[in-house]
Amino acid sequence: MSYTRTTQFRTQRRSNWNRNQNTTRFASNVKLGPVTHTVLVALMITVLGLIYLTQATRASSYDYEAQAIDTKIAEMATEKTDLEVENARLTALESVQNSSVARTMTEPSETNYASE
Amino acid sequence: MNLDLTRGGRPRILAFLTLAIMAVFVVRLFYLQVIQHDYYVAQANEEQLKQLVIPAQRGEIYAMNGDTPVRLVLNETVYTVFADPKIVEEPEKIIETIQRVAGGNARSGLDALLAKKDSRYQILATKVTRKQAEMIKKENLVGIGFQEATQRVYPEGQLAAQTLGFVDGEGKGRYGVEAYLNDRLVGTPGLLQSVTDVRNVPLTIGDNYINKPAKDGDNIVLTIDRNVQAYAEKALAKGLKDTGATHGSVMVMDPQSGKVMAMANLPTYKPAEFNKVQDAAAFNNATVSAPYEPGSDVKTMTMAVGLDKGVVEPKSTYNNTDYIKVEDRTITNATKGQTGNITFQHALNYSLNTGFVTVAQRLGDGKNITREARDTMYDYFHNKLNLGRLTGIEVAGEAPGTIIPPTDVDGGAVRYSNMAFGQGMDVTMVQACAAFATIVNGGTYYTPTVLAGTINENGGFDPTQKKPAKYDVISQSASDKVRKMIHDARSAFYAGKDRKGYYIGGKTGTSQTIENGVYVDNQTVGTYLGYGGENSTGTGPKYVIMVQVSGKNMNLQGAKDAMPIFTDISNWMIDYLKLQPKG
Repeated sequence: MSYTRTTQFRTQRRSNWNRNQNTTRFASNVKLGPVTHTVLVALMITVLGLIYLTQATRASSYDYEAQAIDTKIAEMATEKTDLEVENARLTALESVQNSSVARTMTEPSETNYASE
Repeated sequence: MNLDLTRGGRPRILAFLTLAIMAVFVVRLFYLQVIQHDYYVAQANEEQLKQLVIPAQRGEIYAMNGDTPVRLVLNETVYTVFADPKIVEEPEKIIETIQRVAGGNARSGLDALLAKKDSRYQILATKVTRKQAEMIKKENLVGIGFQEATQRVYPEGQLAAQTLGFVDGEGKGRYGVEAYLNDRLVGTPGLLQSVTDVRNVPLTIGDNYINKPAKDGDNIVLTIDRNVQAYAEKALAKGLKDTGATHGSVMVMDPQSGKVMAMANLPTYKPAEFNKVQDAAAFNNATVSAPYEPGSDVKTMTMAVGLDKGVVEPKSTYNNTDYIKVEDRTITNATKGQTGNITFQHALNYSLNTGFVTVAQRLGDGKNITREARDTMYDYFHNKLNLGRLTGIEVAGEAPGTIIPPTDVDGGAVRYSNMAFGQGMDVTMVQACAAFATIVNGGTYYTPTVLAGTINENGGFDPTQKKPAKYDVISQSASDKVRKMIHDARSAFYAGKDRKGYYIGGKTGTSQTIENGVYVDNQTVGTYLGYGGENSTGTGPKYVIMVQVSGKNMNLQGAKDAMPIFTDISNWMIDYLKLQPKG
């Protein structure tokens, strides 16, 4: 089925419009029946629905990315906490006192004070 | 019937049918979406909308290491390893892996646990670290799962255990700072309300999405210096070993601020293993929660009151007969023979009860402990020096002690004559330390505290606001005199024990104990309360140390049993604080 599209433009002057204002009206030769209208409307709704679904899915995909990043952050925070605990254990007084460096230290035989 | 189909009839029928079908849909949808709206929303929410509590991290606790805060209590993520025996494969491999990786944290009888095929949940190991959990995960064992939990970690072991307290299985602080500051430490949990997918991943869609982050608890910095605390505990343990005492406490305080640098108590416990403690008394911080009759330590305070009121001077004299009568009671000296006209300095040196009853009398009419004298003593002891009152120190379980007011039927002259030398009243060590600090620091009462500040979000140290102080509790002049008297009292007998070039003072105390409301003869508490650290800068004492030792059916003496511990810590403090000697 083919359509021959012709267009006509004609000027109209309406008394209730502003003076010197030119207006045009598009007149198409193509006539659409009610079935076509229904189908077109349905198509438009479908397209809009698809667009909505696409966007919603895209938003959800960001959530998965955010979730993955959150998981990574949580893992790194746990790792940081573990390192802090390890650091605290290694620098605890008992650990320091039992270290090889501390064991070789001796009491000073004499203490001299610089004048204040 | 003869139907004439006219031109355009089929589209009309089609349109009619379409409209009819649409009408059915519209009516049905209206019913579902409008009339049944709330019902279906509720059902959808029940299935898709999840509320997840975001747990707040409990605040850490720091101590001072000189001027730098260091962690005393941290949080650690640990895992409980469990098995579903019904779906477990390779039980031998599971047992080998758990025992190899978890070691002592693995439960005994793993093979029996895994053989319980009618069970879906058996704990195989607890308190497994993250690294250990990862090692187990790498083995890809079927039927093994992990539950995450947080536990408190104490890198310094049992250091300052009674000051810290612990966190019970329900996450609530018990005893010590953990209990007193629980509300600040616990933080506020957050809330995540969101639609989730089948894997419970939250999706940021819908009107019901709420993401309120958790607010972690405050990271508290204590005034406790971990080095002073460690040395105090070590010296106390040695002292108890030397004397045979079974219980002991030490408090070290900065007399220029009221900051507590150490609170040591024995017996003690490991907070990480609080559930293994047999006697719950070990949880109590005796320095704040165990009032006792302070005994002769209080003589320094009675003397300070007399000096401040101008009724005595260190060289004022009185006639000591080793006995003094108060109403129908006769009070005697523990040390006899120092009779005649002696100075109050002499009375302090020999800790003569008669001397301090005389001071109390001179606060009245000179011969009797009148109501005026009792009011004065009560005002100084209770209202100004805060004896027998809660100090507000930030450690749970503080006990107020008792000072009987003169208005009480028991607050007569006999009671107050006893109070003049430390009997007939109950105080805690923290009260005694704070009061003693006041009389030797120039006369300012600083409220004792263990709270130095907090660690902010950037990891910096924010000092806390100073607690209000009471100025001119006694005059500077009275403070200087009593400080010298306490120094001379120590120097009279124990001068050789101190590091040369430092101004050290202290007073012994030997208190009778009360069992079932009656004084017993075979049990005394030995105490020593002193100051030190004053050097050539002349800025006053740098530390106040109080030692207390006791034991069931043991007569422990302040001079013999408590004082050596004081001397040990005092000499160490001089080095630790890098104090330069006089001259």
